[in-house]
Amino acid sequence: MSELLAIDGLTKRFGGIAALQDVSLRLGAGSVLALCGANGAGKSTLVRILAGVETPDAGEIRIDGEPVTIASPQDATRLGLNFIHQELNLVPKFTALQNMALGYEGAARRGLLDRRAARRRAKEVVGRLGADFDLDAPVQDLTVSQRWMVSLGRSLMREGARVIAMDEPTASFTEAEAERLFSIISDLTADGVAVLYISHRLDEVLHVSHDVTVLRNGKLVGTFAADEIDRARLTREIVGQEVAELEAIPTSEQPVEARPVVLRARDLAREPRVHGVSLDVHAGEILGVAGLVGAGRTEVARLLFGADAPTSGTMELDGRAYAPRSPYDAIRRGVALVPEERRSEGLLLRESVAFNITLATAKESRRGGGLLSPRRARAIAREMVSRFGIKVASVDQPVGSLSGGNQQKVVVSKYVRAAPKLLILDEPTVGVDVGARGELYAIIRDLAEAGAAVIVISSDFEELAFCERVAVMREGRVTAMVDAAHATKDHLTSLCYSEEVAA
Amino acid sequence: MSTDLSASTTPAVETGVGGPASRRRSGDDVWRWLGRYGALAVLVGMIVIVALMEPDTFATKDNVINILNQSALAAIVAMGVTFPLVAGEFDLSVGNTASLSGVVACTLMEKHGFGIPEALVLTVLIGVVIGLVNGFVVTAIGVNALVATLGIGTIVIGLNYAIAQGLPVTITGDKANSYIDLTLGKFLGIPYPVYIMLALGIVLWTLLNRTVAGQAMQAVGGNPVAARLSGVRVDRIRVAVFVLAGACAALTGVLLASRTGSASVNGGDTYLLSAYAAAFFGSAVLRDGQFHIVGTIVGVVTVAVGFNAIALIGLGTHWQYLFQGGLLILGVGVGTVARRRTA
Repeated sequence: MSELLAIDGLTKRFGGIAALQDVSLRLGAGSVLALCGANGAGKSTLVRILAGVETPDAGEIRIDGEPVTIASPQDATRLGLNFIHQELNLVPKFTALQNMALGYEGAARRGLLDRRAARRRAKEVVGRLGADFDLDAPVQDLTVSQRWMVSLGRSLMREGARVIAMDEPTASFTEAEAERLFSIISDLTADGVAVLYISHRLDEVLHVSHDVTVLRNGKLVGTFAADEIDRARLTREIVGQEVAELEAIPTSEQPVEARPVVLRARDLAREPRVHGVSLDVHAGEILGVAGLVGAGRTEVARLLFGADAPTSGTMELDGRAYAPRSPYDAIRRGVALVPEERRSEGLLLRESVAFNITLATAKESRRGGGLLSPRRARAIAREMVSRFGIKVASVDQPVGSLSGGNQQKVVVSKYVRAAPKLLILDEPTVGVDVGARGELYAIIRDLAEAGAAVIVISSDFEELAFCERVAVMREGRVTAMVDAAHATKDHLTSLCYSEEVAA
Repeated sequence: MSTDLSASTTPAVETGVGGPASRRRSGDDVWRWLGRYGALAVLVGMIVIVALMEPDTFATKDNVINILNQSALAAIVAMGVTFPLVAGEFDLSVGNTASLSGVVACTLMEKHGFGIPEALVLTVLIGVVIGLVNGFVVTAIGVNALVATLGIGTIVIGLNYAIAQGLPVTITGDKANSYIDLTLGKFLGIPYPVYIMLALGIVLWTLLNRTVAGQAMQAVGGNPVAARLSGVRVDRIRVAVFVLAGACAALTGVLLASRTGSASVNGGDTYLLSAYAAAFFGSAVLRDGQFHIVGTIVGVVTVAVGFNAIALIGLGTHWQYLFQGGLLILGVGVGTVARRRTA
C-alpha cells in the first residue's frame, strides 16, 4: 500500500487555544482511514485545513511524498482531494445533473455548457455508484441519502479524485443505505481511491475502515488497526475514560401500562407521510420511536407539538382534548419538542447562550412591572448551564461558538425549562460525542423519573436500549410496540422492514 | 449577540473567543474595534474636525439644539423601520404613510373641525391600520414583504390623492398657530420634537430590549423556524413590527405638516430612504450588524451633523448626497469587513 497522503506535526491555534497540536497521520492509496474523536477534538479543523479553508500554523502535508501547500479549495481539488461535508452544498432547485455538473470542467466548452458531455459523464458516475436517483429530479425532491450520493457523484465527475473525505455520511441513512455506501467505498478503494471516514458511529467505523486515528482535545491519541481494536477500547480512547453501556432501568416500580396516560393519540393522520398513528405515552415513561428515514416519525412529532395540523385524528393530554394550533399552544399545555435539525430549527446561533435558553420561557425573566430583567435571564441560564453541565465561558457567549454536544444541551435545556409533561426528542444525539451523549441520557432519565413522559426518536437503534418501550414506525404507521427486553438493534431493524402489524 | 446594550459591551463576550489577548494578531484587534466603534468614531471625528474649522458657529448650544431638532422627525421614522428590520422584514410604505398622515391630519382639522389632539390620535391610528394591512398581506397571504409594502404604499399614495386631489392642505385660522407650535414650540429652550424623539426612543428601546415581545422580534429576525418552535407566535410578531413602523411614520407625517401648517401630497416620501440609510448605518454602531434603536438614532444624528457641517462650511447641496451615500457605504462596509476579519 503506497503512502498517498501524509501529515506531520500539523498545528493550528485559534486565539490562544490549540485546535490541533502536532497531529500526524498517514493515508495509503486504496485504504480507508477513520478519524474519530469527541466534538471539539480537532477533526473538523484537520478537514478544513486539507480542504484549503484554514491555513495551518505549523506542520507539513505531503502527497505522494511531495510537500504541498493547500491555500484554497481550488488547490485541494487540483490535488485530487474531495470533501463531502455534513452540509452538502447542493443547489436545491437544480437537478441532480445540474448539481453534479457544477464545477465540472469537462462540461464547459469555450464558456458554454455542454449538457450532453455532462450527462454522459454523470451517467458513468451514477452507474459506478449504482445509485438509483433520477438525474433530472430537482435535488430538493430527493431523499437525504440520495442527495448525499449526488454530492459524492459530483466529486467523482472529474478524473483524478484521489482522496475523498466523508463527514458523518450515514447520519441520516437507513441501515440498507449505509450498507450500500460501504460497498461503494470498497469499490472506490479497489480503484485506488483513499477514503477519510469521519463518524461518531463506532460500529460502522470498525466495519468500514482499515485504520482508525483518534484525536482528543486537538492531540493525536494514536492510530489503531481496525481489526485489532474493539468498540469498548475505541470508546475509551476517544473519551479518555470508561463509559457505562446503555441499559433500560424502569423509572418506577409500576409497569408502564399501569401508570397514568399523559398523551393519547388516535388515528392521527397527515397526508402524505402519516396515515393513522395511535399511541399512548405514560407518565414517567421513556418511549422510543424506531423506524427508517421517511417512516413518518418526525412528522408525527410535529403533529404532537402543533407545528403541523393533522388532517384527521384526535389527541388527549392528561385526559383533556388536545388540539394545538401552534407550538405556542403546545408549550403552554406542557408539550415540548427538541427538533431534529438543531442548528436550523433549535438555535439562534448569533444570540447568546442566555437568550437561547430563556427563549421558550421568556416571561419567567420578567420582574415586577412586566419588563425583562437581563440579570434574571442570565441567572436562569447559569442555573441550567450548571444543571446540565454545559461547557461555556459565559452565558453571554454566542451559542454558535459552542461544540455540537453543548449546543444540543442548550436546546434541551430551553425546552426542559418549560417544565413539559411530555418532552419529545427527535434524533437527540446526532453529531453529539460519546461523553455528552451519556450526559444527555442522564438528563432524559432524570426528567422521566420526575414524572414527565418522554418520546425519543432515534435512527441509532442501540441508543433505544434505554427506553422502556419502543414503537416501530413504518410508512406512516406504528407497526409494532416492543418492550425493553426485545428492543435489540437486530430485532428493531427487522421490524422496520417487516410487513406484520403487531397488536 | 445579547439581549441588551450593556451585555454586548461587557468584556465577558470577549472571553468566548478565548486565550490571552497578547496571542491575537494585532490586526484583528484593530478590526474588532473598528467593527464595534468605527461608526461612532466617524461621528466623533466629524464633530471634532468641524468644531475646529467653524468654532464660532458649529459648537454652539443653539446649533446643537438645531441639529437635534433637524434629526427628530427622521429619527422617529427610522426608529419605526428598525422594528421590521430587526424581525427580518422590510417596510417600503413608511414614506407614503408619512405623506398621507400629514394630509389626513390637516384635512381632519381644516375641513372637518377636529381638534389637534383628536386629529393626531386618529392619524396615528391610520398608521396602525396601514401596518396591520401590511402585516396581514405578509403573514396571512404570504406575500414577500418588499412586494407587499410596495403595493400597499402605492395604494396609500392613491388614497392620498383621492383625499387631497394632489393639492397641499393648509391650516387656516386660529388653529394654525397652535398646530405650528407643535414643532416650533419650545420648553426650556429646546423644541418639542427633540423631547418627542427622546421619549419615543426610550419607549421603543425598552420595548425592543426589555419586553418578551421585543425579544421575540429579535428571535424571529435571527431564525424564524427556531423562534416558532420555541413557542414564539411568529405571525403576530411580524404584524406587530409593521404596526410599529406605520404608527411611527404617521406620527412623523403629522409633525412634518405642523412645521409649516401645511401638508403637501408627497412631503414625507423622502423619509423612506433616509430612514433605511440611518438604520443600516446604525447597525454598524456598537453591534455586529444587528439593528437597534440607539444605533438608528446615532445614524440619523450623524447624517444631520454632516448636513449641518456642509451648510456651515458653505459647500453646495450636492455634497449632502455625496456625504450621505458615502457614509452609508463606509459605515456598513467597515462593519462587514470587520466581521469577516474577526470571524
